Amino acid sequence: MNKSIKETEKTVRLTGNPASGGIGMGPAWIMPESKASVKPEKIDKSKAESELDRVQKAVGDVLDGFEKLKSGSEGDEINQILDAQIEVLKDPQLMEEIRSKIIEKYFGPSYAIFESFNKYIELLDGTNAEWAKERMVDIVSIRDELMQTLQSRNYDMLVEKSSIVFADEISATDLIKLSSMDISGIVMHKGGLTSHAVILAQSLDLPCVVGVDWQRVKVQQKAPVLLDGDSGEIFIHPSEEKRENFIERQQLHKEKKSKVLEWAEKPAETNCGSSFTIRANIEFENELARLKTHGAKGIGLLRTESCLFQSTNFDVEAQMKFYRTVVEKADGESVTIRLFDAGGDKLLEDHGNESNPFLGWRGIRMLLDKPEMLHHQIEAILRISGEFPGQLKLMVPMVSRIEEIESVHQTVENVKQTLKEKGISFDDDLPIGIMIEVPGIALMASEAAEIVDFFSIGTNDLTQYTLAVDRGNEHISGLYTSTHPAVWRLIKMVKEGADTQGIPVSVCGEMAARPELAACFLGMGINEISMTTNSIPSVKSVLCRSSLREMQKLAEHVLGSTHVKKADELLKEWLHEKTESLNR
Amino acid sequence: MVTRDVKILNEAGLHARPSSELVKLASSFESEFFIEMYGYRINGKSILGIMTLAAEEGAEMTLIVDGPDEEEALEAISNLIDNKFKTS
Repeated sequence: MNKSIKETEKTVRLTGNPASGGIGMGPAWIMPESKASVKPEKIDKSKAESELDRVQKAVGDVLDGFEKLKSGSEGDEINQILDAQIEVLKDPQLMEEIRSKIIEKYFGPSYAIFESFNKYIELLDGTNAEWAKERMVDIVSIRDELMQTLQSRNYDMLVEKSSIVFADEISATDLIKLSSMDISGIVMHKGGLTSHAVILAQSLDLPCVVGVDWQRVKVQQKAPVLLDGDSGEIFIHPSEEKRENFIERQQLHKEKKSKVLEWAEKPAETNCGSSFTIRANIEFENELARLKTHGAKGIGLLRTESCLFQSTNFDVEAQMKFYRTVVEKADGESVTIRLFDAGGDKLLEDHGNESNPFLGWRGIRMLLDKPEMLHHQIEAILRISGEFPGQLKLMVPMVSRIEEIESVHQTVENVKQTLKEKGISFDDDLPIGIMIEVPGIALMASEAAEIVDFFSIGTNDLTQYTLAVDRGNEHISGLYTSTHPAVWRLIKMVKEGADTQGIPVSVCGEMAARPELAACFLGMGINEISMTTNSIPSVKSVLCRSSLREMQKLAEHVLGSTHVKKADELLKEWLHEKTESLNR
Repeated sequence: MVTRDVKILNEAGLHARPSSELVKLASSFESEFFIEMYGYRINGKSILGIMTLAAEEGAEMTLIVDGPDEEEALEAISNLIDNKFKTS
């Protein structure tokens, strides 16, 4: 009935860092931003006492609210957070400051609250302690809630069931409150992967994506939203097809979730005893804690963009520090560092406007034009390889011709020479590999295999370049299908090319994060895959309970299919049967 | 009035949870309680005050307790800090 209206609403796709897994579906709810300032209004002397009474009543109301949440929620973590908030509201010093501002200086209650809290917020901001900054968000949220209660404005009633909350940043307290209103997901602009809110979202099993610049696209209140906490994707005004797909996946997610985490600790072996390796794709330091809990064996893809974007001069020391931290946390397992891959959707400031950035100046193309930057990064990686010999690998992104590989080798040799002269140690056998994401280099796989030590297939870009489908273009998003037989065949060619020289092949794209596709890779003889930590347990649980023989058969069928739909069906059926038989 | 010099021993320092334990304990006594650190004095019953000290492991501070149950309070508070805020 509303079809015509729906179609006029263009679907908007946003992406961010997946912070808490699962599928969320519901109307958008935009969280009001907290106030940046409050005017220092004065009140009449005769009203001071009654205004103070109002503040005290508001404090009591907010306290009651916290107490209620506490009794209603389970778990130590939540009660601890609420207890800490309750103590702030009972803080004698704070209350004395608010009191004196009203009673002695005749400031309005809102200003008295705002100023008294801010003194502490600023002090916490001034400390170097990470936890203090975390707590700041909570204290800001009590301040705002107290002010809202005082003005009897409360947003509680406005949040519809199963809403997807869009916020700049969320405090732990707000998160607990929102979760008690049965929201179905959270989108945040700020907030790290280990922020209090994110950890809570994980323990509350609330899908959450952070680092999303959603303010850019003007999300409307109540617009229908789909959120994928595993891939970090958000669709506003999604198509009917997408919605159905999400409903299906939500069901699947619920069933699997409870069972899969226990697989993290088990050995990575198929049920016929053939071993495989699952590594993690990592971008930020704070993701490292999940290596162990989610069962990753080292890091198959360390992205360096965020590290390099932070320092303007790409200095060697800062990079080394980042790499060192990461390698230390990898527990002796291998770490593959990908050279800076700016361009595409991740832009450097002097990048300018390209009409087609995905086909443009990115990855190794850009690095070869910026020799100093390339030199610095290779130097940093080599020097760290000296500290952890045998553990590091270097990976070159966006290679499209053999010459580019040769140029990188040349630079590596030059840097090694300089380091030797300076007497700085490095791992002379540091393996150098390339990303296979451009069909042009995939077709040259056997020649490339002669001069590199490994291949890693970036399936997202390989798919979009092979099928000529822009991933970000909603008009044709239905055509972006990694399961297209052509993509599988190209991957098979790459594997065969690698085999001529006996070099290893791994997969580090989103494809590997889907269990049925990962099974297909194993069936093709690719037994090293790398993915976001969130996806590891579910993939592992399926692979561990499958036999190599059945996965080979699956790969054979998929590779032999003519239609995309057929390949899709084969994969879907395989997973369906697998999960059915496992649940029995 | 009684005072005692103490040192923070727990690895994470006086972060949110230990601050909260400290305030809870201090508030159960009638006596006034202050902490002095870097020549800076805060109300030991104020969670915000304690947090703004951001005392790390190894930080030294003076506890000052004044009131009818000061001896008992000082003993309990020092114990909590010495036991790295483990309440049992």
